[in-house]
Amino acid sequence: MKCKRAETLISRALDGLLTSEEEEALQRHLKECPACQKRKEEYSIMTETLRDQDFPQVKPDFWERLYNRLEEQREYDIWSLWKRWSLRAVPLSIAAVVILALGLVLFLPQPKYELNQTETLLLQDRLPYPEPLTFLEEEGAENKSMQIIFTAMEERRDTRRYFP
Amino acid sequence: MEEKELVQRTIQGDEQAFGVLVNKYKTKVFNLAFGLTRDREIADDLAQEVFIKVYYALEKFKFKSAFGTWLYRIAVNHIRDHLRKTKKMKHIPFEDVHKESRLSEEESNRRESSREKERKIQLLHRALQTLPKKHQIILTLRDIQGHSYEEIASILKLSPGTVDSRLHRARKMLREKIAPFLTQRGGTHEM
Repeated sequence: MKCKRAETLISRALDGLLTSEEEEALQRHLKECPACQKRKEEYSIMTETLRDQDFPQVKPDFWERLYNRLEEQREYDIWSLWKRWSLRAVPLSIAAVVILALGLVLFLPQPKYELNQTETLLLQDRLPYPEPLTFLEEEGAENKSMQIIFTAMEERRDTRRYFP
Repeated sequence: MEEKELVQRTIQGDEQAFGVLVNKYKTKVFNLAFGLTRDREIADDLAQEVFIKVYYALEKFKFKSAFGTWLYRIAVNHIRDHLRKTKKMKHIPFEDVHKESRLSEEESNRRESSREKERKIQLLHRALQTLPKKHQIILTLRDIQGHSYEEIASILKLSPGTVDSRLHRARKMLREKIAPFLTQRGGTHEM
C-alpha cells in the first residue's frame, strides 16, 4: 500500500468507515511505515481536539432579543411597503385626475341652449321689430346686421340679469 | 408538539410556536457560527440573523427534508456569506499562526493542561480559518459538530461521495498546516 492511500484510510478510520480488509491492510502498512504512524497520531490529535472543545453558552435572552428584532423588522416592512406603494401612487394619482377631468369635459351633459325670441324671428327671416324697418332699409346691410346683433344682445342681457 | 405543526403554527402567526423551534435549535446554530468565527458576539448575531431568515422563509419550506436540515442549510449559507464578506478582515497568514504557536509552546511548559488544550484549539481554529470556506464548513459540520455523512450531504446538497472526498481533503490540508508545529519538539506530538 502506498502512503497516499494509507492517509485516506487513516482519515476514514476516524469515522469508522473502514471495511475489515481495509483495516487489516492499513495496520500492515502502519507497522512498516513510521511516517504514516506519525500521520495517524497527528490526525488523532487534530480530530480529538476539534471534537472535545467547549463552546460558550448561548445568551439567556436569545429568544427575547430575537422576538424584538422580528417585531422591528415587521414594522420596518410595513413602513417600506407603504413607501413603495406611495411612490407608485403619485403618478397613478396624476393619471387618475387627468382621466377624470377629461371624462367630465367630454361626457358631462351640456346646458341646453334656447333661442330667444329675436333669434327665432331672425332665423325665420322675419324682423323682430317692425318699427325700424324703414331705418334699416335706408342704412344698408351693415347697419342692419349691427342692429340685429345689438338687439339680440339686449334681449339676452335682460334675461340674465341678477335679482338677489 | 411535532416540528411540522410548530412550523405550520408559525406560518399562521403563532410566534410562541416559533419560539419553541428557536429554543430547540439555537445552540446548534450558535455553535456552528462560533465554530467558524470563534467570536461569541459575532456568532450570537449570526445566529439571530439565521433565525430571522428562517422565520421569513418558512412559507417556502415544503417539508421535503427535515426542518433541522433545512435550517442548517440556511445557517451554513448565511455564515458562509458572512465569512466571504469579512475574508480580508479575518484572514491571518498561517506564518503568524505558527509564530504565535511557538510562543505558546514556550509558555506551555509552565502552564496547566487545560490551558494547553485551549491553545491547541486556538491553533487549530486559526489554521482552519486559512482553509477554503468549503473545507472549513465541512470540517466544522463533521469534526466539530459531529453530523453524519448523510446529514452533511443533505445540508450542503452534495452527494455522499463528494462529502467523503471533500472531508478527507479538508483534513489533509489542516493536518499539513499543523504538522510542522506538532513535530517541533523532537518528534513528540505535544503542542
